[in-house]
Amino acid sequence: MVHLSSLLLKKYHGGYVVLRLALAGHKQANRPFYRIVAAYNKRARDGKYIEQLGSYDPLPNIYNEKLVSFNFDRIKYWIGCGAHPSKPVAKLLGLAGFFPLHPMTITEAERRRAQTQRTETATGTEETVEEGQKPVEV
Amino acid sequence: MAALSTARCLFRSYSRVKNVQKSKQILMKCSVRTFCSETQDNAPTDNAKPSFSDPAVQDVLTRITGLDLQKVFRPIKQELKPPAYQLMTDKQLEEAVDLATEQAKKLLQMPPVLPERKPINDVLCEDKMLDGMDTAKYVFTDITYNIPHRERFIVVRQPNGTLRKASWEERDRLIQVYFPKSGRKITAPLIFEEKNLKLVYSQDRHEDVLDLCLVQFEPDSSEYIKVHAATYENLDKHGKYDLLRSTRHFGGLTWYLVNARRVDGLIVDMLKRELFQDAVSLVSLFHMVHPHSESAQEAASQQATGIDLLKIYAQKESQRSGYIELALQAYEQTAAEGSAA
Repeated sequence: MVHLSSLLLKKYHGGYVVLRLALAGHKQANRPFYRIVAAYNKRARDGKYIEQLGSYDPLPNIYNEKLVSFNFDRIKYWIGCGAHPSKPVAKLLGLAGFFPLHPMTITEAERRRAQTQRTETATGTEETVEEGQKPVEV
Repeated sequence: MAALSTARCLFRSYSRVKNVQKSKQILMKCSVRTFCSETQDNAPTDNAKPSFSDPAVQDVLTRITGLDLQKVFRPIKQELKPPAYQLMTDKQLEEAVDLATEQAKKLLQMPPVLPERKPINDVLCEDKMLDGMDTAKYVFTDITYNIPHRERFIVVRQPNGTLRKASWEERDRLIQVYFPKSGRKITAPLIFEEKNLKLVYSQDRHEDVLDLCLVQFEPDSSEYIKVHAATYENLDKHGKYDLLRSTRHFGGLTWYLVNARRVDGLIVDMLKRELFQDAVSLVSLFHMVHPHSESAQEAASQQATGIDLLKIYAQKESQRSGYIELALQAYEQTAAEGSAA
């Protein structure tokens, strides 16, 4: 039910609707949990939203899964109404296969791979340095 | 000017409001999935072999299950309320008993017997460029309200970049997370382990185990079929068929035994309790399911009914023919004495 106040708000701010992550339960420290939400652009991140469209739990569970839920029916509706998804939501939808893959996801994957390679070569050189040192000491 | 734009805004948002309300109404009318609705859709009528959900088979099984009102409505563990007494005339009492029989029939609705489900191995996309993007899997569930759980999209993006459909166990777990069903746990209760099952069988609580299994697992999952098979085997070994008589699991037990061709114990039990009509229907069901066995062909050639069916079955198929024939003779004697006197 759209109340008169929110119409005035929209007219007043001239804002648009976004699909973004809102932090839920933000009174709990060190345990983030996000709601995927359709809200007006100018509203506070955790403030009043129009509709909740899903959830995202960034911490993996005992099965090493990060649980994400999407209400695709309503997401299609809001995108049809002209809502803009934010970058993290676009990335998640790309990973889900609903959107095409976000370029930053690929870039991040490449950066991670380069990082792991660098640490591997670093540990490799460290080990060879240690082996080199030991016979010298003995 | 401002009034015109606000009016336009009002009009646009009102159309949005209308759509939201309509979808809310659709959500309200969404009905809960019932147990037997699926089997009626996807069980094809097989002329070669009758399946569990055929009306003839169901008819026989409901008749054999029996309708002991005292046992169906025996006190179950629920909230303690003081009993309510009502003063009724005889006619009102009959009506109340009729209502009770109808409710008992609903309670005795048999859970479906389905073949085991095939594992899902569907890979939707292989993205090698996403390899090593994260250490954990991402599981995406579709929370749209009015789609059946079997058709829901649940996909997993693994750390090596492959996007695959979730396996049956993952599906069950996640559907329980987002659409919790009362009584179902995320991880299976410890009662379903081997040693715990043995303890439960020694305490004669087969019915409770089967009820728990029904709530916890889907009817075509491997654990459901395993637990049911183990329970039925145990019942057959010890001959404790009466534990399940007049409960909703009796049909499943009979179907399992008929398919395994080990109906002797059950027939002996029925004869002991002098349920001859039930024994006759059981033998006719056996002939329906195994039309190529010797006793079925013999019965078809002789067009036998009633006690003769039992005699043919006792001669041809069963291992305990002696007992069955003796019991039949005793029944005939008592019937003769009854008609003479």
